[in-house]
Amino acid sequence: MSEKKTLPSFAVLQLSGCAGCEVSLINASEWVDKYQLVYMPLVVSTHTVPDDTEILLVSGGVRNDEDVYNLRRSTELVDQVIAVGTCAISGGVANLGDRDEVRAMFTAQDNRHHLPHLLPKSHPVDAFVDVDLYLPGCPPTPELFMAALSGPQDYQAGSTVCVECGREKLKEMRPKHLLGFQQGEVTPDICLINQGYLCVGSSTRGGCRAICTIPGHPCVGCRGPSNAYIEKESQVWFDRVQKVFERLTDIPPDEINRALHSPQLSLFLFQFADYLDGGRPPRLKEKVL
Amino acid sequence: MTTLRFPLSRIEGHARVEMEVLDGQVKTAQFQAIELRGFRFFMIGTPAEQMPVIVPRICGVCSTAHHVASVKALEDVYQVTPPELASKIREVLLLGQLIQNQATSLFIFTMPDRVGASSLFHMDQDEANAEQQLSLAQRSLKIRQIGTDLITLAGGQFIHPIKAVIGGVTSGIKREAADGMLKALDEMLPVACHLFDTYWDMSISMKERIGTWGDDQPAFYIASTGRSHPSFNSDEIRVLGPDGTERASFPPRLFRSYLEYDETEYSYAGQSSYQGQVMRANSLARVNLALSMGTPLADEYLQKLTHTFGKPAHPILLFDLCRGIELVYAFERAIELLSKDLDYEDTAIPYTPHDGEGYGLVEAPRGPLIHHYKVKDGLIEDVEFIIPTVHNMLAIERALKVAGERYITPAGIDLELEKAVGRVVRAFDPCIACATQ
Ligand code: SF4
Ligand code: SF4
Repeated sequence: MSEKKTLPSFAVLQLSGCAGCEVSLINASEWVDKYQLVYMPLVVSTHTVPDDTEILLVSGGVRNDEDVYNLRRSTELVDQVIAVGTCAISGGVANLGDRDEVRAMFTAQDNRHHLPHLLPKSHPVDAFVDVDLYLPGCPPTPELFMAALSGPQDYQAGSTVCVECGREKLKEMRPKHLLGFQQGEVTPDICLINQGYLCVGSSTRGGCRAICTIPGHPCVGCRGPSNAYIEKESQVWFDRVQKVFERLTDIPPDEINRALHSPQLSLFLFQFADYLDGGRPPRLKEKVL
Repeated sequence: MTTLRFPLSRIEGHARVEMEVLDGQVKTAQFQAIELRGFRFFMIGTPAEQMPVIVPRICGVCSTAHHVASVKALEDVYQVTPPELASKIREVLLLGQLIQNQATSLFIFTMPDRVGASSLFHMDQDEANAEQQLSLAQRSLKIRQIGTDLITLAGGQFIHPIKAVIGGVTSGIKREAADGMLKALDEMLPVACHLFDTYWDMSISMKERIGTWGDDQPAFYIASTGRSHPSFNSDEIRVLGPDGTERASFPPRLFRSYLEYDETEYSYAGQSSYQGQVMRANSLARVNLALSMGTPLADEYLQKLTHTFGKPAHPILLFDLCRGIELVYAFERAIELLSKDLDYEDTAIPYTPHDGEGYGLVEAPRGPLIHHYKVKDGLIEDVEFIIPTVHNMLAIERALKVAGERYITPAGIDLELEKAVGRVVRAFDPCIACATQ
């Protein structure tokens, strides 16, 4: 038949997420004439993944029993599984719900008639199925989506966000306290750490082209740990961020330590959310784009 | 009793429709939101100043609206008024969102309904049309891309923006960047108009085929848009009666005195009403509530609409046409804003964090969005998200019932019903991630 049939096919399974990953994929419009999109409820009215699909992108975390079922069923039908976005990779922002103070409020919602049954916490995809490639980011940029689809071998990126950011690190501009995230003016071209912002771009994997830090907002680490830390436990990462601050600022180590360990801090969501309970083996860096 | 269940696609999030039918009569039509992530619970305890970074993750489609509403809620807590430059940049950000959203709803979600296809990317299997098809898809995506580019320009991160901060914005927009964007806007505006014309024609053909623009009753309308022309970085909510008279106007902090809220056991999303009355939010509400669009091309389209349907206009498929009018408006308004200087010094005003309570309002593409925070010891003590899709929930269910009655008779169920369910739901462009959070 038409040429369309011979294009490689991919499907997108949306679990519990915000659809930001899908929006980013739609932004990567170059796939339109290179791939055949066979399933993606956000944009296509088909209700199941066809069983000869080559690539399955999974976005969103596993939040309810229907997610588990759809995930298991769909991954059986495809050749390759790519987990996209922080939610699919670590459970994502919904991990904030995994605290005693709020868990009960959440599970109290689970008394509704024939609606999917809520799991007590949000899980990453690889808690249930094998994943061939991880595409971190909240969401991954269109460029990263294209790299994941067409094979990551040709993809080039800086090792960390710092490398891609280009703000200059100064030895002589040493703040004494953290400004937090947003308070105060941002000086162009100078490292946000020198200005007292809690930026973790120094240990976050590159690839996003530093889209937050260049306009002046600290990196919250949505791409997750860089290759230097991804296979290690979270303490190594904490120590490293701490060292960077010691080198560039006079902020008391205690203050930084406290800020980094706040369980509600957004950067926590992205870096080590699911490593915290210690149960999960780290992902191999070869499998992470 | 027969229960009909319709899975939904080409909307944001996970939802389905269930209708109960007895002896050819539709007994109930339920819109069931089937996902829940729990932001209104797990945001408790978050350092307040991090909210603008985390809450966009409620929804990747409406992230910009959440980002700005969050910043405004905290500004209300800390009693700080952002400088004019910041308000303009936030408006650009919200216009970017509007373009992205309306283009998505028009071309990706609802255009396939007009030609009986499963998606924009599979609209025609016929070889002869394939090329035209591809060009349609590519033009649609390009228009959408303009919205994304505006968000990136004014918001930094392209899906979950970061540039609006408490007291202002992190930086202005450099002349060179603004000029580049202007060029793209100028180039794509005629393309957007042309595609919208095509869409309008397709809609007329569809109406001729199915015989209606929507036969549901008139309703109340709710929006926070301006009286004389649209406004998205808004500060007041207004309600219009079915007869076109204004019934209420109130600041976000008084919403409880006007709006009632209920939960149901068949959905993770709640339902709200205007004092017990069915109301509608989103494009049609805004167009009904503002005198004009305030930009030349959008006003021409508005006249064409008003000429045929009057004002207020009620048939629900007009939601879709109003989205097109807003798409054109957003292009024109963004051109206006970017033509002026957006790169002067005064980006943000300093503030001192303290405990308190605040409300932040914006007009999101789907209607008025309120964030309500209580801050104690620098942490979020309590949080409420008042979501536009929830305002539309009763209206969606009522319209679904009307569609059911049209296509279900004692003689049987017309197969057109499944398509009608999709058309009705997509006219409201609901967002389930937001509605359930
Ligand atoms: S990873 Fe981020 S963008 Fe993707 S679904 Fe989760 S919250 Fe949304
Ligand atoms: S700068 Fe940091 S937070 Fe922003 S997109 Fe890149 S990795 Fe994510």
